Amino acid sequence: MFTNMHSRRRHLYGLGASLGSVAFSSLLAEEPASKPLAAKSGHAKARAKSCIFLMMEGGPSHIDTFDPKPKLIDLHLQRFTRKDEKLSGMASGTRYYVRSPFDFHQVGQSGADMSTEWRHLAKVADELCFYRGCQVESVNHPTAMYHVNTGNRFGGDPAIGAWANYGLGSANADLPGFIVLPELAYPQGGASNWSNGYLPADFQGTALRPEGSPILDLQPPPGISRDHQRANLDLLGKLNRRHLARHPDHQDLRARMSSYELAFRMQMEVPGILDVEGEDDRTKALYGIGQAETDAFGRKCLLARRLVEQGVRFVQAYHGTWDSHDAIGKAHGTLVRNVDQPIAALIQDLKQRGLLEETLIVWCGEFGRSPDNGVRSGTAYGRDHNPNAMTMWFAGGGVRSGHTIGATDAIGERAVDVVHHIRDVHVTLLHLLGLDDNRLTYYHAGRYKQLSQFGGRRIPQLLA
Amino acid sequence: MRRSAMLFLITLGGCLLGRAEEGVPMQTSGGLSERWTERLYRAEDVWAYRPLQSPAIPAPVAADHPVDAFILARQAAAGVKPAPRADRRTLIRRVTYSLTGLPPSEEAVRAFVNDPDGDQRAFERVVDRLLESPHYGEQMARHWLDVVRYADSSGFANDFERPNAWRYRDYVVRAFNRDKPYDVFVREQIAGDELHPGDVESLIATGFLRMGPWEQTAMSVPKITRQWFLDDVTDSVGQVFLGHALQCARCHDHKFDPVPTRDYYAIQAVFATTQFAEPKTAWLPDENREGFDESEHLEARIKRYQKILSDIHAKQVSAAKQWYATRGLPYTPRKDALRKGIPEEEIVPARHGLAPRDLGMERIGRKTIARHQWERDRYQPYAFAVYSGHTRKIGVVSGRLKVPQDRTDGSLEETAILTGGDPFSPGEPVRPAVLSAVSGVPVTPIPSTVAGRRAAFAEWLTQDEHPLTTRVMVNRLWSWHFGQGLAGNPNNLGATGKKPTHPALLDWLARAFVREGWSVKALTRLLLTSQAYQRSTQHPQPSIVADRGPHGTLYAVFPPRRLTAEELRDSMLFHSGELNPSLGGIPVRPDINREAALQPRMIMGTYAPAYQPNPERHRRHRRSLYALKLRGLRDPFMEVFNQPGPDKSCEIRETSLGTPQVFSLFNGEEIHDRALGLAHRLIEEGGDDEVVLERLISRLFHRVIEPEERRDLLKHWEVMEARHETLTFAPRVIPIEVSRQAKEEVTGETFTFIEELESLRAYESDRQPHEADARTRALADICLVLFNSNAFAYVY
Repeated sequence: MFTNMHSRRRHLYGLGASLGSVAFSSLLAEEPASKPLAAKSGHAKARAKSCIFLMMEGGPSHIDTFDPKPKLIDLHLQRFTRKDEKLSGMASGTRYYVRSPFDFHQVGQSGADMSTEWRHLAKVADELCFYRGCQVESVNHPTAMYHVNTGNRFGGDPAIGAWANYGLGSANADLPGFIVLPELAYPQGGASNWSNGYLPADFQGTALRPEGSPILDLQPPPGISRDHQRANLDLLGKLNRRHLARHPDHQDLRARMSSYELAFRMQMEVPGILDVEGEDDRTKALYGIGQAETDAFGRKCLLARRLVEQGVRFVQAYHGTWDSHDAIGKAHGTLVRNVDQPIAALIQDLKQRGLLEETLIVWCGEFGRSPDNGVRSGTAYGRDHNPNAMTMWFAGGGVRSGHTIGATDAIGERAVDVVHHIRDVHVTLLHLLGLDDNRLTYYHAGRYKQLSQFGGRRIPQLLA
Repeated sequence: MRRSAMLFLITLGGCLLGRAEEGVPMQTSGGLSERWTERLYRAEDVWAYRPLQSPAIPAPVAADHPVDAFILARQAAAGVKPAPRADRRTLIRRVTYSLTGLPPSEEAVRAFVNDPDGDQRAFERVVDRLLESPHYGEQMARHWLDVVRYADSSGFANDFERPNAWRYRDYVVRAFNRDKPYDVFVREQIAGDELHPGDVESLIATGFLRMGPWEQTAMSVPKITRQWFLDDVTDSVGQVFLGHALQCARCHDHKFDPVPTRDYYAIQAVFATTQFAEPKTAWLPDENREGFDESEHLEARIKRYQKILSDIHAKQVSAAKQWYATRGLPYTPRKDALRKGIPEEEIVPARHGLAPRDLGMERIGRKTIARHQWERDRYQPYAFAVYSGHTRKIGVVSGRLKVPQDRTDGSLEETAILTGGDPFSPGEPVRPAVLSAVSGVPVTPIPSTVAGRRAAFAEWLTQDEHPLTTRVMVNRLWSWHFGQGLAGNPNNLGATGKKPTHPALLDWLARAFVREGWSVKALTRLLLTSQAYQRSTQHPQPSIVADRGPHGTLYAVFPPRRLTAEELRDSMLFHSGELNPSLGGIPVRPDINREAALQPRMIMGTYAPAYQPNPERHRRHRRSLYALKLRGLRDPFMEVFNQPGPDKSCEIRETSLGTPQVFSLFNGEEIHDRALGLAHRLIEEGGDDEVVLERLISRLFHRVIEPEERRDLLKHWEVMEARHETLTFAPRVIPIEVSRQAKEEVTGETFTFIEELESLRAYESDRQPHEADARTRALADICLVLFNSNAFAYVY
């Protein structure tokens, strides 16, 4: 069904492409897949229509957030040495255990474990489904990020958001279906984290930059007014119509002409859609907008809500870096305060608008962190990377909220219960969006490729 | 009875494996299971392994050209007549872009249009002239570098620059310009160091083997990163030369092709002694060494960061001295104190006296200096290359690698079939070998010695009868000029790739290619002088053609194509008269969208340096082929116009449409600069408005201005000039520093710092609106519209 697009088919892509495609769909009628962004139904009933993926880049520590390990209190500062050719320089050598600097309590009716730093999230704990069984393969940031985002450690493959749009199309013709809200600094590995990979460019993630022009070159250079542009566009239209008369069989020409008109409209409309200032003060306060610690991520969460309301299929918001090798108390403390209120607000806000049940929220990093730390310049209370254990949580459409699934060992070194590779998480996410990973394939470089690479299993425990 | 039982078994096996129930067996080195080894293939799925045929040129069709004989025969069979020949103005634009990636000059158009010779003779002369243009090599290199995934950086966490990769890029340009026989070209890239020790050109060629993204950091597991390279090079050799994605056989025998996993590791064993190094060589006489003086900016930058580090160090020492003094203790640097075993409470705490900003800057300074020091190699004749040797234990790679004195230092890698592709699960050992399913070529034994494996493999690969090497390249050349391959997936001639539409033609061309001494130019000339290449894009009966030969596979009409990203930019520079046509050299940094240039991006422990365009106009205005290609920072203009990312081999470019392209081409500052440049040039050349417009249309579209067009353009000019009389433009401010806000890794605290953009102090702006009068600016509006027009963007 979603297979084998002709590699040289011309694509309309990016913002609002399907508006344009309506106008000349008859020209392309021989190929049903030629309206790549038009909304389509998935393989099964969708539990969620859209996804907000909160990407805590850098690797948040499960041990210091949602997976308490009291045994580390006893082991605190005990030293040991580890040597293994499977380990990186970071994980070997003289090491010592580190206890969490945070206190924990159980919150909500479900009694979910949470460090006391999460003051706001505790109030919506019963909406969350914690998962402690996931394992990844890579201990290196960019490769682990690529793995979580694209299913392939090496980058160059399509991101989940690209797959979701490939499978489901966009519900809003005037906006991209896959929007990324990066930090001011792009993460390691850069824009490949939201790449369309080998899927047509239509499905590329559009990064809305937090400063400056949200979309590059959305506006003309200074001094050029809208009238001025309109005059130029009118001339362009005239020349292009004459050219079309000379090349009546050339099918791309009309499409390219419409994209200019569409771009001109979008130039006007997009800034309004992206502007959160129009929201009422109570809503802005709810997300922590205006407070130094929460303003940046609060804006992203509020914008994410606005975007899914507008029909955007997949929004990924970045926050980081959670890479706390030292002084984790201070570092993670700040990071949690940055996101705690905005995330809780997002869940509450979606819920009161009746949108939570049709929106899937994912919170995770690229790996978890180790119960121990290496001796570098003296003792530092931080943690290294750990691909064998992490915590992620889900909320919203179709997830088993109010539960904690899976478990790690006594010190949080390794997942031991309901253990799944990240590919199974991918399969499960697609399932919640109504897509079957084994049928959501694209022919490239000699085979039909899929997000999970070679197939995976759903994790039934996570499903409501 | 026995026979039917056997048939039953075959059928059953076929069902289980999802394979042909009837078909042909293939001789291979053997799969992991007998069932795989003995499975049958549909003959049409293994066509590419079969020996090259020697097809006769179809006789019954009246054709002067062998290519046309094959093409017309199929058209006749489909009941389709070809489109007429394109007119000369169309043809010269088509062929000039095809061979050079640039538009034809006015003189070239005039000469061809007025050539009294017959169409064919006159066109052949144009082809011959273009094949001798130095820009021919650049255009072919652009295609080749897509396939091999050329980039100037290593990707992943650090995205370190590969300061000498450009020498490989220029090697490719030279190879095509000199018409290096393709078999030699292949051998040099795979084994140049082994075949011609001491030859610099051959050594540079081996950079091919290292084109994939790769890095080794403190967080890497060396055995895994080594395996990345081995997997990458095996698959890359497969896709680039053999037309097979070999990675499919990494974990299991190939599901569709006769490629056992044993072959995958046997080919991998060919590269098991291939080691990275950047040895120093002599410069080659043809290497462009212009622009090395830019190193002054690099040195200034290194010095500035060294000063930052020494200031922080001084601050820390002074704070430590004070700490000891207030406690009445003697000053001992922390490192020394720890070594001496002084009790912890009597040692100054780590990082004492340093604010989060200092900590952040210390890290940024250290990392920045290290990467810039490596970048100094850009101006030195090191070769991004390999040698054959044992595998040594290498830790973090953040600088140039040397060839060791003793190449047998370390251990000789023993290649084995890796269970599930996991380097920690070696299974059955394998010896180096070739792809076993290939027939018609004598099997060359590959030695298991340290050196000579690649040389022997390259010899096997480049035998005259090699069915894959020859078909793959001939098919690529066809696809570069006709827009699609005779076999539709140039990187995949296997079962899942598109089947050849003209298999006999493909083989005939492969034979002709070898007969002409593997000459790429000779084959290109053959393809381009065919009538098939010279057809109009308009057919009198388009619906019949589309019906009987979907996707243009009958070649009854020529397919129009959009200019590539590079061609768009280079053409605008060409028309504005700003293009610097010199060849080769260190990567240049043209203007890119300024927000993207200054976009902070994370690398390990810090931020990548901002992108600073070359301050000198003539360096910014080089061809796009020479633009610095960073895996971590793509030029947004190139990206939206479908320049492929350099992580995966690109067999053929995609062409998409959409609003990001409009934003880039209609709003982008660089495009407005080109439009103003062109307007300025036209005005400088003199003449009244009508003359100026005639010249403009003639140059951009190679035709005479039409009366209606003249009227519209004159009117627009007049209206826009009146508008511009009321507008004032401020000089553009080029930022010479950028403020960075960052979270310090250790404390999570936010701090800001200023990154100086030292080279931009000397930035020579392109002509700006405030320097131009209203008439010129209004003409620039027309130029902008024309750059955006479909007539400009497409080649017919």
